[in-house]
Amino acid sequence: MGCDIVTVSTDTQFVHLAWQKSEKELANVKYTMAADPTGNVSRLFGVYNEGNGLDLRGTFLINPEGTLLNMEMNFYNVGRNIDELMRKFKANIYVARKTNEVCPSKWKDEGDKTLVNPGAKMVGKVHEALQGS
Amino acid sequence: MAETMTAPLKLGQKVPDFEMVTYEPTKGDFGKFSMKDQIANKRWTILFFYPADFTFV
Repeated sequence: MGCDIVTVSTDTQFVHLAWQKSEKELANVKYTMAADPTGNVSRLFGVYNEGNGLDLRGTFLINPEGTLLNMEMNFYNVGRNIDELMRKFKANIYVARKTNEVCPSKWKDEGDKTLVNPGAKMVGKVHEALQGS
Repeated sequence: MAETMTAPLKLGQKVPDFEMVTYEPTKGDFGKFSMKDQIANKRWTILFFYPADFTFV
């Protein structure tokens, strides 16, 4: 399953290059660094701050058909948890493959308990469904 | 297109096509990202927005 991670800020591609080359923490970066100096893409996703021209910390997952499936937005002073991002991403790929299953909040990875064919029979019985094999 | 969108996207909506110029650290060169290419190549996409280069992400 191919996934492209693309980082976006309102800096230009030239600044991305200069930053990646000068900051040793970024020496092994493999992801694409995209430039949105007009803020148009950032506005589309609702992360553009018109007051200072800087993007909020927003993460968005888009499936291969181009549908937006997940979003998370943090204010400037709180960082994102990559483990939770990966959990949500894996869960989205899993349910895209297994369309009769849903991933509960504690689902972490392939093999963890899911709810299969949630429907009328499961109403009020989620606890039992999560206990069962 | 992005220029004419007034309300931000909501979950479950189709993302309209857009393009961005990119820097590709693996190639040391500039490139292009487009939603149209991602769909044509059947790729999942994670967009990771942050305030600014040379800060403390």
